[in-house]
Amino acid sequence: MSDTKHMSELDVLKTENDRYYAFVNLALILAAVTGIELVLVYLPFPSTLIFTVLISLSLFKFIGVIAWFMHLIYDKLILTMAFGTGMVIAFGTYTALLFLLSGEMVAPQEIPGR
Amino acid sequence: MSQTESHDDGHHGLMVKNKKLLMWLFLGSDCMFFGTLISTHLIYRKLHPEEFDPTQLFSLELTSFSTFILLMSSFLMALAVSAMHKGEMKSFRRNVIGVIFFGLIFLGCQVYEFAHFMHEGLNLDTGTFGSTFYLMTGTHGVHVAVGVFWLISMLFYSQSGKMEAHKSAIDVEAAGLYWHFVDIVWIVIFTVVYLIEFIA
Repeated sequence: MSDTKHMSELDVLKTENDRYYAFVNLALILAAVTGIELVLVYLPFPSTLIFTVLISLSLFKFIGVIAWFMHLIYDKLILTMAFGTGMVIAFGTYTALLFLLSGEMVAPQEIPGR
Repeated sequence: MSQTESHDDGHHGLMVKNKKLLMWLFLGSDCMFFGTLISTHLIYRKLHPEEFDPTQLFSLELTSFSTFILLMSSFLMALAVSAMHKGEMKSFRRNVIGVIFFGLIFLGCQVYEFAHFMHEGLNLDTGTFGSTFYLMTGTHGVHVAVGVFWLISMLFYSQSGKMEAHKSAIDVEAAGLYWHFVDIVWIVIFTVVYLIEFIA
């Protein structure tokens, strides 16, 4: 019993030490990406290209944090699903509101605040 | 292990700790909450583009610094959770102090930013831009403040000597998940509310 417990503690130490390097690498990458984002908005590239790159970099940072810092890649799928459901509903709300309140869909006087 | 202990410890069918599952479900619901706030801001911005020009007011350097601070606090939080799993209480405390310090810097930057914006004439009643911007970023700031208080109380608890590494690891992990969530919300706000305004 004590051997099993001892082994399990060693496993935990090994796993956590392996993760340490992943965390350091990710932190460096996230800092670099934030710097790139700041520089990118001032570069004279087409706005569509910059917009696409900014959204992609933001998505990359988002996934990096939830996958490694929040341990989603190490944990059960049910946790990804629990969080993913909220994400899908949040994005669905934005898409629905965008269509419902777009200028072409409603007359100006019907738009709140206008 | 008795029946009662096993149920207190975790969910048997899913093999996931109850506290962790509960925290993820809460974060999923908080996602919808922030999703609504961010959507409202973006849609009103699209409907009234002429109402306000934030590029004259926003300081990208300051916001990038805040983002960097919050990302590094997330890194320290990940190390604090890892230290707790390893049973290294000193390392845990050191990292949590770092997270609290970075969290307070972020809040300081936000207070400075709000004070500057209000001085320049952007208030809660400055049209839809003012109200949606302050509501969204203010709610995020409140989340950061709650996280800081949570970590301070955890730090004091660990100082009292009552905290046991193997028993409290799940509590620290739950606090860590909350802190990382605050970070990812800011990642989205930084891009869609601040950076995109500066694209010509």
